[in-house]
Order: sequence, then structure tokens, then C-alpha cells
Amino acid sequence: MPENENTLASQVFDQLRQAMASDAAAFTELYRDYLADAWRLLGMLREAVQQQQLEELRAKAHHLKGSSMVLGARAVAQCATSLEEMGRQADVQGAVAMLERTHQALQHVQSELADRLGAGVVPADKSAA
Amino acid sequence: MATTPIRVLIADDHPVVRVGLRNMLQGDSFIKVVGEARDGVEALDLARRLRPDILLLDLAMPIVAGMEALREMTSANLNTRTIVLTGLIDNRQILEALQLGAHGIVLKDAAVEHLSQCIRAVMQGQYWLEGRPVQNLVQVLRDLTVQTTAPPRKTFGLTARELEVVTLITEGCTNKDIAKQFGISEETVKRHLTNIFNKLGVGNRLELALFALNHNLLPPTEGN
Repeated sequence: MPENENTLASQVFDQLRQAMASDAAAFTELYRDYLADAWRLLGMLREAVQQQQLEELRAKAHHLKGSSMVLGARAVAQCATSLEEMGRQADVQGAVAMLERTHQALQHVQSELADRLGAGVVPADKSAA
Repeated sequence: MATTPIRVLIADDHPVVRVGLRNMLQGDSFIKVVGEARDGVEALDLARRLRPDILLLDLAMPIVAGMEALREMTSANLNTRTIVLTGLIDNRQILEALQLGAHGIVLKDAAVEHLSQCIRAVMQGQYWLEGRPVQNLVQVLRDLTVQTTAPPRKTFGLTARELEVVTLITEGCTNKDIAKQFGISEETVKRHLTNIFNKLGVGNRLELALFALNHNLLPPTEGN
């Protein structure tokens, strides 16, 4: 599988774009909302790990996993799956490294989306990132 | 001939997932999303009020979890067929979901690819698993039951009496205790132990106890 395919699955992206062909702005907005939500969740996951709030870690990681799966952000979904399991197993060893991997994966998704949809897909508070 | 769209209710606690699914399904003119629920209680309430043909149900939802919502949906007898939409699911959960009345299971990362097909198949009375319609549900249930049942207790060639001796050894009984319990001589207990040691390749009682614990040689305790 090509690296960028793991970043953002073309089949998911293309079929969604086709399904929303009548409203291109809404399609961009859907991914912009995803990115904004994912960055927000990542911040909450960091906080949960720092505070050892395991249920919060599990729940927020579950949200990030779900939205990333539905929208084709596979690498982010994989990281979120690992974080969710850490929360469930009450074992946060390696969580800091996994948060860093999640950050990088999300950054790649954002770059990929910006290439495909233009800079308008990047949430306002992340446009300088 | 006019075709009535399939009416779908989406239940997922994450708004981005709901919006993604709704937009995904809007591209299909034979499917109409009639409502969205944020938790299990709202899913049940909207299902009762809107009477959708299909409920797309996330398993991990707050207030009332997906499995419980599924159980209540089935007992409410609403003529709504439920498709479980989930990130990960193991065989035990698949079996439970099917037993509770789910008609299909779709992974979230395969939603774009399979969800419309799955909804159509379920509306036609089929079941849907692992990205395709199920041809023989009874066989699937039988296979899942076998896969999720604990493996039989291994005996390593020990007789029933030798297994009983092993159990008592792990409980700390002496040869004299064992002899008394079974009404046999201590010499017979020693013979049993020699046979057990030879069959299991252990050299003393401690090794035997550890072997028994590590190899699931002991009978299940009450309540397990």
C-alpha cells in the first residue's frame, strides 16, 4: 500500500466526494470539521495521558478512531486504536510516543487534504502549523 | 414504478461520524437518512417515533451501550432492522450482536465501500457480515459458537483419578490426605504420582503444581 494511501484512503475520499458532488463546499467543510475535531481530540488525549484519566483516554481515542475510519484517515485511526486499547487496559506505557505518532499522522492527513482540496480545508487555528 | 427510499436512522455519539455517514448515504437516491441519535436512549426513542427501516448502531455509545440498545430494539418489535457499525469487533461480540437481533455488521473503515450494499441486502431479508451477504446464517452461528467456546481441558494422557490427584496436590494435600480422601493406600497414591510425573515430565510436587496451573489442568472453580 502506498504511504499516502495509508494517510488518506483514496477509495473513501473519492466515493465521499462523488456522493457529495452536488456540494463541493460541504465536502471541504466535512474534512475541515474532521481536522478541527481531530486536533481538539488530540489535545484532550494529551491531557488525559498527563492526568492518567484512563476512561477519558479510552473515550476520546474511540471518537478519533471512529471519525478517522469513516473518513479514510487510516494511520490516525491505527494510532487512535492503540491509544483506546491503552486506556482500556489501564496501561499508558508508550502513550506519549503514540501521541507523537498520532500528531505526525494527523499532520500528514492535513497536508494531503490541503494538496487535494486547497488550503481552505485547514482549520483556521492550524493554518500556520 | 416508484420506489420508496429505505429510511435510515444513524446512531453514533460522535458528530463527525454522523455527518460523514449522512453525507455518504446522501449519494444513494434509494436511501434516506430520517434521523440521527447521539446515544442509546435517543436511538431507542427516535426508532420508536420515526419507525425507520434500518438503524445504523454504533456499539460504543454513552448512557445505553449499543448491545443493550440492540436488545431493547429487538424486544420492542419495531420492524426496524439493525446494522451494527463499529470500529473493531471480535467473534464473541459478533455472535452476541447476531443473537440479540442484528442483521448486519459493518466496520467503520469499510463503510464507504459496503454500507449501501449492506443496507440493501438487509432490506431484502439477508444478513451481512465481513463485507458480503451471509449465505448460511446457521452455519455462521455454529462456527462462531465453536470459535468462541473455551478449548476443552487438556489431560495430557492422565486418567480421571490421576487428574483428581493432581488437583489435590495443587491444594497442598499430602499423600496421606489423598489416600484418606480416596480410601486407598499411600503406596497406591505414590504409584499414581510416579505415573503422573512420568506422563508430564515433571520431577517433584512443586513442578507438578506449576505445570497444572500453567497448562489449565485443573477443573474450573465454582462461579467461573
